[in-house]
Amino acid sequence: MLSGISLLCFTASYGVALALEVTRLMFRSGIRGAVMLLFATAGLVAHTLYLVAQAMATAPATLPLSSWYHWYLLAAWLLAVVYLYLTYYHPRNPIGLFLLPLVLLLIAAAYYVRNDAPPPAAQARTVWLWVHVLGFLLGTVTVFIGFATGVMYLTQSWRLKNKLPPSSRFKLPSLEWLQTATSRALLISMLLVGVGVIGGVVRNYLLLRSANGGLRWSDPTIWSSAVLLGWLVAAVAFNALYRPSREGRKVAYLTVASFGFLLLTLAVTLLLPEAHTKVGWRLEAEGWRQSVGWVLAPTEMNRQTTERVGTSTHPTISPCHCASVVRISPPTSDLRPPTLWRFP
Amino acid sequence: MRLQLVGCSHHNASLAIRERLAFSPQQARQALSALRERFPAAEAVLLSTCNRVELYTAAESEAASPSHQEVVHFLADFHRLDAAAIFDDVLERSGTDAVRHLFYVASSLDSMVMGEAQILGQVKQAYELATNCGAAGPLLHGAFQAALRVARRVASETTIHQRRTSVASVAVGDFARQIFERFEDKQVLVIGAGKMAEETMRYLSAEGARQMTVVNRSCERAEELAKAVSGQAEPWERLPDLLTAADLIVSTTGAGQPVVTLEMFRRIEPRRFQRPLAVIDLAVPRDFEPAIADCLGVYLYTIDDLSEVCRRNREARQKQWPAAESIIEEEAARFMSDLHHRATAPTIRRLRENYDTVKDDELTRLFNKLPELDGKAQTEIRQAFERLVGKLLHPPLQSIRDESQEGTPHGLLEALRRLFQLKD
Repeated sequence: MLSGISLLCFTASYGVALALEVTRLMFRSGIRGAVMLLFATAGLVAHTLYLVAQAMATAPATLPLSSWYHWYLLAAWLLAVVYLYLTYYHPRNPIGLFLLPLVLLLIAAAYYVRNDAPPPAAQARTVWLWVHVLGFLLGTVTVFIGFATGVMYLTQSWRLKNKLPPSSRFKLPSLEWLQTATSRALLISMLLVGVGVIGGVVRNYLLLRSANGGLRWSDPTIWSSAVLLGWLVAAVAFNALYRPSREGRKVAYLTVASFGFLLLTLAVTLLLPEAHTKVGWRLEAEGWRQSVGWVLAPTEMNRQTTERVGTSTHPTISPCHCASVVRISPPTSDLRPPTLWRFP
Repeated sequence: MRLQLVGCSHHNASLAIRERLAFSPQQARQALSALRERFPAAEAVLLSTCNRVELYTAAESEAASPSHQEVVHFLADFHRLDAAAIFDDVLERSGTDAVRHLFYVASSLDSMVMGEAQILGQVKQAYELATNCGAAGPLLHGAFQAALRVARRVASETTIHQRRTSVASVAVGDFARQIFERFEDKQVLVIGAGKMAEETMRYLSAEGARQMTVVNRSCERAEELAKAVSGQAEPWERLPDLLTAADLIVSTTGAGQPVVTLEMFRRIEPRRFQRPLAVIDLAVPRDFEPAIADCLGVYLYTIDDLSEVCRRNREARQKQWPAAESIIEEEAARFMSDLHHRATAPTIRRLRENYDTVKDDELTRLFNKLPELDGKAQTEIRQAFERLVGKLLHPPLQSIRDESQEGTPHGLLEALRRLFQLKD
């Protein structure tokens, strides 16, 4: 049953919910709110089932939901949960107009990296990897929320400065509420991204110390993440030290800028995803070559040194990749250069 | 069956008359009891607000219902007034007009400020009081429950209640509410102690404002107003400090020059740290220099901005009038149709009983003649007879239902009674 759910199912549901949000601007309706919640909930349920199906399909060959594809889908899922929660408690506010496009943007990003391969299951042993991935995931979602509330603040502030009365078709939360939400989002995103970056740094440091190699510190995703964290720390410090920045539009501008830095980081991961992940996996696989581990490799490669045990069922890898799950038999011969792990 | 309303409202009676005819809850209870004693078969609900005094009565028969004159005399007697003196100020509606009027009142379309929310609660209270006193019967239960339903429909299907029309309510409800989530922890500064300031402070107090400070050139007036709205008065000299601390300012002085100039605001601005400030300048000429609106974090609204919103809201409410009216017409027609159809119930019941008696007699005779019939066959025959009776009764009952749309079909009911020899 779960295999029948596709990306299109929940994307369409979120799309319909967004379309219904847009119709708020045009006319009143007594049942729209309920229908909108119904579609958003249906989308979230389908989204959840899809992720469950993906986790089941990829385990145990790979770490469940560990590819960039899944990372983006999880971020979209968390944002959809936030949207549903806020819409349930603030049904008169068109929060979906600001949050649902971001959900769809994350799904689009996921679709863009759908052919990206997940890391091997052995990675699950690395606590710091979990800290790194989860910290960044939650931090990213919080930056997205901060961006949405920041844009809402700026919109509401503009409306009030121009003396526009509240409209039953477009009624945003109060400036006070938006300011509180934006300030909190800025602080929490700094903490979470900080945890994510620290997790990544410690993991890489341990890899380098074990003489198994690690990522170059000049890796584009590392410095772009560092820039994001640096910006968030600076923004929070600015907030703490310069009192006027805590009030009004400044905090909203800070969260919008944070979103810009996050997009830069994500753009790097979208354009160069393998530089950050697959090289790292190769190196870790190398580190574990004395033990038995699961890795992904093209079928025709490493034929002499590996014992084939089954074909990957990972649904995001297209047949042309010809990926298969192989077991590295100790002792292994030298692994191929990084290009070995770059799928066609 | 008679449903009637006798009373007065702000449309047809002066405040002096309405005051003399008004009932406190205790008096309303006494009046309902007295009315029950004088007209035991009549039902009654008494609605008494500052804008209207209306006595709704209903009875199954015309004879049991008090007439217009009798109700006027009753009201006059209760308040020890001369009935002739108030007769011209008291209006009377009956039947569909009375029901329609009740629906208009409950939906607040008959209120002084159309769309105000209090009237629905007052209608509910009046109905509950009559129910508790045993004065409301099936007819008025139906009418008032329908009225409450209509009011809810009008509220949900139109925007008539959503738009504020007074300057103070627009200032607080439409603008300040968009800036502040709550008023409990906000410093409210009121400059001037005029009537508009008082009205705005009352709105703010109702919205939860607790820290309200009044500053006025005349300290006495400031203290008076502060006392009336549970605020505190401060001397005029403290104005700059109070401006620094304020989150929301309501200004209503009669000064000929701006009370707060841009220069003065620039001096206190650094101490505010760009904290959002809502300024509601209700004074003419303005108390705040317009350029202050360009300062960071300042949201300045003048009487013109607010009046413009009030005017647009009134227009928007007027636009909703046809939609609300059509709901009321539809519901009034439905209610009256149900009411008229209810009046036909005794005749229909007797007609059905006659047919059932004939059917049962024939079935008994048939089953006695055919003792070999088993239970299943008997059930089949019984059901066939019931279907036959149903089909025979359907055309006359449908005709009665159709005729009830226009009123109680007395002619048709009389014809049925004579044709089928229906006896009371």
